[in-house]
Amino acid sequence: MSQQASELFDNFQELTPSEFFRKNKQMLGFTGKIRSLTIVFHELITNSFDAAEEAGILPEIKIDLKRIDKDHYLLRHSDNGPGIPEDYIMKVYCTMFAGSKFRNIQSRGQQGLGCSGCVLLSQMTTGEPARVVSAYEEGDKLKGVKLEFKMDVKKNKGMLLKREDYDAKHTGVCVELEFKDVSYSLAEQGAFEYIRRTIIGNPHAKIIFRDPTGHKYIFNRAADMVPVLPKEVLPHPKGVTADDLIFMAKHTDKRRFRSLLTSSLSRMSNKRISEIEEITGIDLNKRPKDMKWDEAEEIVNAFSKMDFMAPPTSGLIPIGNEQIEDGMKEILKPEFITATTRKPVTYRGGVAFIIEAGIAYGGNSGRLVNETRKAEIMRFANRVPLTFDQGSCAITEALKSIDWKRYGLRDLDNTPVTIFVNIISTQVPYLSTGKQSVAPEPEIIHEVRQATMKVGRKLQKYLRAKKAAKEEALRSRIFEEYVPAILKESAALAETEVPEYQEVLAKVTRRSLAELLGEDPDKVEEEVEEELTSTIDDVEEEKNPDIEDID
Amino acid sequence: MTDVKEKTKLNRKEITYNKLKGLGQDIINDVTEKKIPTLSVPSRGTSNIVYDDAKRYYVLGDRYGKRSLGNVKQIKKIGQMVHVANFCKDLVQREKTATLREMYYVSEGWGIGFDNQQESNIVGEDIEVTLGTTREDLGLMPEEDGASVYGNIVLQEGDIEINALKSGKSGYTISPTIDEVDFVGHDVKRVIAVETMGMFHRMVQEKAYDKFDTLIVGLKGQAARATRRFLKRVNEELNLPVYICNDGDPWGFHIAMVIISGSAKLAHVNHDLATPNAKFLGVSASDIINYELPTDPLKDIDVLRLKELAKDPRYRDEAWQNEIKKMLKIGKKAEQQSFSKYGLEYVVDTYFPEKLDAME
Repeated sequence: MSQQASELFDNFQELTPSEFFRKNKQMLGFTGKIRSLTIVFHELITNSFDAAEEAGILPEIKIDLKRIDKDHYLLRHSDNGPGIPEDYIMKVYCTMFAGSKFRNIQSRGQQGLGCSGCVLLSQMTTGEPARVVSAYEEGDKLKGVKLEFKMDVKKNKGMLLKREDYDAKHTGVCVELEFKDVSYSLAEQGAFEYIRRTIIGNPHAKIIFRDPTGHKYIFNRAADMVPVLPKEVLPHPKGVTADDLIFMAKHTDKRRFRSLLTSSLSRMSNKRISEIEEITGIDLNKRPKDMKWDEAEEIVNAFSKMDFMAPPTSGLIPIGNEQIEDGMKEILKPEFITATTRKPVTYRGGVAFIIEAGIAYGGNSGRLVNETRKAEIMRFANRVPLTFDQGSCAITEALKSIDWKRYGLRDLDNTPVTIFVNIISTQVPYLSTGKQSVAPEPEIIHEVRQATMKVGRKLQKYLRAKKAAKEEALRSRIFEEYVPAILKESAALAETEVPEYQEVLAKVTRRSLAELLGEDPDKVEEEVEEELTSTIDDVEEEKNPDIEDID
Repeated sequence: MTDVKEKTKLNRKEITYNKLKGLGQDIINDVTEKKIPTLSVPSRGTSNIVYDDAKRYYVLGDRYGKRSLGNVKQIKKIGQMVHVANFCKDLVQREKTATLREMYYVSEGWGIGFDNQQESNIVGEDIEVTLGTTREDLGLMPEEDGASVYGNIVLQEGDIEINALKSGKSGYTISPTIDEVDFVGHDVKRVIAVETMGMFHRMVQEKAYDKFDTLIVGLKGQAARATRRFLKRVNEELNLPVYICNDGDPWGFHIAMVIISGSAKLAHVNHDLATPNAKFLGVSASDIINYELPTDPLKDIDVLRLKELAKDPRYRDEAWQNEIKKMLKIGKKAEQQSFSKYGLEYVVDTYFPEKLDAME
């Protein structure tokens, strides 16, 4: 059976990945004019971020999008990352599936098609070559090179057309690609919105974007710290499939099943190995290369019946609520902002994840639709904005299930709020190949709900206080207008002078404030009385209430 | 003619004036004492209107509503109340009166005015119940005149002395300002109030005032506040018994009862309006039977009303309960003027003497 499978794979080899995707570009996410351009932005930005962060550099990206004709654009994308050594440039941009290794790591994570996919799309739609400038350090020298190349689809590699030295000032990569059949849009799914959201999810980054009209947008960074790099952690037994096991067995240097399992999976002790042997009856001293599909399936089945410690969470690096708040503040200039980061938990019993949520109210929060601001939901997975397929997403589903009226938002749709939700995980359970929506795992929905309800409550508290303040101002005006008028009439009625009434006016106002805040107005009245009659000494004592307790 | 001593008029004016002034003083005193002024306004809800067995009329219970200067919703009402109080104090001082409509128009110049006349009427009533004074005392007059009075009584209205025997065939018309009228003297032994002006004129023509030494009062249907105040005053100040003669139907019964025991709606001023000593003379169900009067069958609405009356605390005594039962039983009603079946003079020559004999 395994032989048949490899034969089948041999047949596939005749069609190179590049050739396969040339015929099936929708599998790279290139469907529709707007979406295609957004995906290009996504791939290039993600690549720049990953490179810069790995080198410990705060990412700064310049993007220049020029319109040549209808649906025809020239894109120039440059970063301040470590650059790509000359020998690797065409591998990065022209070879599909550059590195494929089973990695259980939190990553912005694409299938490794990223940049080469963009070059492929450019070449397919325009026939124009890609131009890349790379500046990198070699030893302690700064080297620069400018290449012009095309992709040889049949061979799945680059075809150099031109090369010249480049006088570099600092490290980084600049790539120039031309596209047709794409379209720049300000819609929620468009490239501009993608950048805006990217900055919110990555407050440590700076992006300068010149749009086709020549307008320059500068998205400044709100945080000056390069995020801690996520560590690779061994996958948890409950998070792997039979296919994963086979893959591991093929690529391992271990000699036995048992050592393969203990070295490739977390929480896998000798005691657990004996348990697996007992349940499955498989001889775990066999060589990994001989592992059959049935055996892998049986082992995975056994995993599901066993109890394991929860997976390690050290590999998960959330954005952190302060940084989320800073990022949203920078972009949305909201009136109110709050964010929360939940503790790590697991779904399917074995995959750790963290949910982060933030909510911004007022200012530029929400989406501008015909001059009114409506609620918008920003979904992220490992800091990457998810802009498509929102309908079936766990985040959307969880937010829909919340009764927003309970949080003082009577009409959520027409409220100027931006709700931010980010899922951090070594394995985000995407629903489809486009990786644009998260599977509605019950644990994920629960966590999204909890996180969002928490920020919702904080927003509600703020809105209440704001409403009370507004009402209070209104009431004060009523009192300030009516009290003098009433006392003037009353004095005329009593045939006497209008007495000094400032204290009573102050009391009346305080009392109504207490009422607004749901306190006992009578109690407050007493307090005001005390306050007004208390001497300086009394006030001193009030500041140190402990003094009395000592007696 | 009996001379009547001048006694209450000056007092009433002074009392009202002082009450109004006191309302202002209460507020000012609170402020001087650094307290938030609060007014207690007796509740006029139906649950706070109770029948007082001893007084034999409706009174307000002891439930109060608070109007605090410290409450956004109540402060406007307080403002309106002090404005109205000042307006009334001015009326009382200058011995003038104004209608509620006039006050509503005047209020347009106030800092805290009214949105509509309904609102100003209610604030007027608020002052009445709060101070326990009638609106007539406050100088706020109803638009309608009171009943007609014919008979030997001399009244003083300002500078003018009026003899109700010499005021034309329609007699003296009770003014809304009846409390400013002094009784100078009279030569009568009783008062008979009748529902219709038809009966009033019959009695004048047949010289009933002379035959029975009576004042004749033509109520013109439901008695106006001024009429009820007049009847109460002649009953209490002049010690004259008051008899009421209406149509023999539930509506006639109730016109009499409102004079005797007051209305629920005006529970707060019934102490000035109800005449518990007044007596219902007829036409009763018994009269219909005894005098074999021409009748009309009771309509559904009459039956319904009779059943309502049977449950009303004002009709609790046995005589009334019997009359109501009797009328429901015969299923018939009769008008006052149906006595003319026996000739125009019959009612004065036969009916009244017989009834008065029986009652006195």
